[in-house]
Amino acid sequence: MKETLFLKNTEAFAESMIRCGIRGHFAYPITPATDVMKYTARKLPEVGGRMVQMESELAVSNALAGYACAGKLGATSTSGPGMTLMQEAIGFMAAGELPCIMLDAMRVGPGDGDIIGAQSTYYQATRGGAHGDYRVIVLAPSCGQEIVELMPVGIKLSLTYRNPVLFVVDGVTCQMTETTTFDDPYDYTADFDTSDWSYTGADDHSKRFLLTGSYTHEQGYEMNERMRRKYEEITEKEQRWEQVEVDDAEVLVVAFGIHGRMCKDLVANFRNEGKRVGFIRPISLWPFPNKAFENIPSSVKSILVVEMNHGQMVDDVRLAVNGRVPVHFLGKTGGDIPMCTLAEMSCEVSKLLEGE
Amino acid sequence: MQTLADYYGETLKFDKLYNYCPGCGHGIVTRLVVETIEALGIREKTMSVVGIGCGGFSHHYMNVDAIEAIHGRSPATAIGYKVALPDHVVFTYQGDGDTSAIGLHEIMHAANRGMPITCIMVNNSVFGMTGGQMSPTTIPGQVTTTTATGRDVDIHGHPLLVPEMMRAMNGVAYLARESVVDAKSINKAAKSIRKAFECQIKGLGFSFVEVISPCPTGLHLKVPDAYEFAAKETLSYFKPQVFKNALENNDEV
Amino acid sequence: MKYKCAFSGSGGQGAALMAKLTCLACITESKQVVMTQTYGVEQRGGDSTGFVVISDEAIGNPIVENDANVAVAMSESIYQATLDGVRKGGTLFVNSSMVKNEVERPGVKQVHLPVSEMAQELGNVRVANIIMLGAVVSATGMLKADSIAGALTDILTQKKKDKLVDINIQALNKGVEAAEKEVCK
Repeated sequence: MKETLFLKNTEAFAESMIRCGIRGHFAYPITPATDVMKYTARKLPEVGGRMVQMESELAVSNALAGYACAGKLGATSTSGPGMTLMQEAIGFMAAGELPCIMLDAMRVGPGDGDIIGAQSTYYQATRGGAHGDYRVIVLAPSCGQEIVELMPVGIKLSLTYRNPVLFVVDGVTCQMTETTTFDDPYDYTADFDTSDWSYTGADDHSKRFLLTGSYTHEQGYEMNERMRRKYEEITEKEQRWEQVEVDDAEVLVVAFGIHGRMCKDLVANFRNEGKRVGFIRPISLWPFPNKAFENIPSSVKSILVVEMNHGQMVDDVRLAVNGRVPVHFLGKTGGDIPMCTLAEMSCEVSKLLEGE
Repeated sequence: MQTLADYYGETLKFDKLYNYCPGCGHGIVTRLVVETIEALGIREKTMSVVGIGCGGFSHHYMNVDAIEAIHGRSPATAIGYKVALPDHVVFTYQGDGDTSAIGLHEIMHAANRGMPITCIMVNNSVFGMTGGQMSPTTIPGQVTTTTATGRDVDIHGHPLLVPEMMRAMNGVAYLARESVVDAKSINKAAKSIRKAFECQIKGLGFSFVEVISPCPTGLHLKVPDAYEFAAKETLSYFKPQVFKNALENNDEV
Repeated sequence: MKYKCAFSGSGGQGAALMAKLTCLACITESKQVVMTQTYGVEQRGGDSTGFVVISDEAIGNPIVENDANVAVAMSESIYQATLDGVRKGGTLFVNSSMVKNEVERPGVKQVHLPVSEMAQELGNVRVANIIMLGAVVSATGMLKADSIAGALTDILTQKKKDKLVDINIQALNKGVEAAEKEVCK
């Protein structure tokens, strides 16, 4: 039976991961992600799980790797500086093909930055901060309901491809409280048999060991080629996005997360005035939904990318569009209202409609 | 003909080319761990989490599952694994650089957390794999490739005494420093390693054994001289002793 | 129907609770709702605003950006800022016990209710916010007063403050009546 709860979106993340079968959560307090661990500390023991508070994000991410080695899907939640500390272990988990679910409650950087929400970790999320040719699957829900809907998707992706999956949600959205409807609990992790690769003791299998290095140069090459094939498959199969009123649009707005959901109102307002505006909202940030841009109609004369940063995803949009249409950017980071308002977005779109 | 495998049982693995340098103390410590696993009959549910450094080779000679963790982080990785599989036996095998330089943070919190895992720290007073640089346990005046005139305590501080730092932690069930510089010491080290694993199996808490071990290559000494250096110089600073043994208290109860 | 609300007050006046009760009542009525807090303001001591967006369908823009159509100003210090945040055609409910100097703003309807004094008459000045909330839902038709009453009872029961349920329900009803009178005027 469906159940509607009124939760902070960080709590919606926690509730949905518990309902979807995750039983191990490793974390370290950091604003604005702390609410996730407060929630799981209380709720996980009720279902036989555990929140383990570690001594740093370094320890968190490495414990998560150890947990994954046992063939179990664990989770973590963090923000800004914590995400930066985890990069090494994320690269390690990608190389070791270890599944896990992570949340980056994105906040203003760089350095200690600010605790207020931002989308400034787009580069870090999609490019990664560790060395090597590795990829992390990145999902960007735009509201509490979408966090809940994407949790099973993230779990399946992580266990199907044996790869870390990172949810990125700006801190403003994280700290909102909204009505969210949940399905009955269902353990999605149980649909996956991990016994053919997990390191559960040399009882039913001959010795296995997790190696992310290589003993020969050829072995290192083979590892990277294997990963390359996997990433190509993910890129082909797993692009996700929402598009609205694109078919005859003159101006196309591209935004993810909170700005993505604001586009719903933005486009409705312009369409009410008879103006042809549409939007594309990337849901998977890696793989980036290049397919959404393959067949943009000839009516589109300009694209506006809106972000809570100084221009990061705009690079991917420009690569996808490849010079066919001019791509403009509107964005900011920090401040009392750390995102672009609908009024500011509307103003920018109006200018583009008038050909300015 | 009797083979070594017949003698040592299933846990010791011989199919891998031997990576330790001639005379390296790691071989002895690795064998002691293997003998413990074999004797306790826990091979099938044992996980070896190794650090980066020469100790990382140790699992190649053990027929147990293993994780080659990130440099310094194996205690955290071991904790994550133990949370997932509490009935399994998890141990880390790390050098002095991995444990006390880059990984001091993880090892101290693992000790203080008191979760029943076992950590073996093989202390040869240098970074061996990278060619003999100073580590936190290099003794004062010891010449290494990064301390050409000997370790200067004014700049680099005094050698780090890791078990001494853990002594006051209630979660630590077994705590010892041993060495492999001579036969008598090896026998004592064997006992400590076994007790450390027993503490874990009985769920008494965290167990830790530091083992002083010679590194002839890193010390640029002939094998007998390296053993003499470890026995005289290293042991003068790092005193072998059993600091804590919860098994004794446990037996009394 | 879509409502964008701003509940403003000074420390201790329970503006955030008004926002929360509104949200919980929305669940009862199967409406979608998003609540955000003022950014950059301390939660205690100073002024604060609870923003709520209510809709029958999925909510796009979750931010109330100076376009509230239902607003409340519980204190003098936050009155002007709250008034500025109301869109044309919107209504501002003013606690006239605290706000003495009214400012006219064309296109914005202002409803003045002395809710602090009314609360004192009930015997507890702290229920002024509930009186105001009763007036807001009654005058706007945004939610049923019964839904608010249900949410109030749930919250107080959860917090083991059952003995406060009666006075709060009285306050809610008083607000509803006051709004009916005010609207009839």
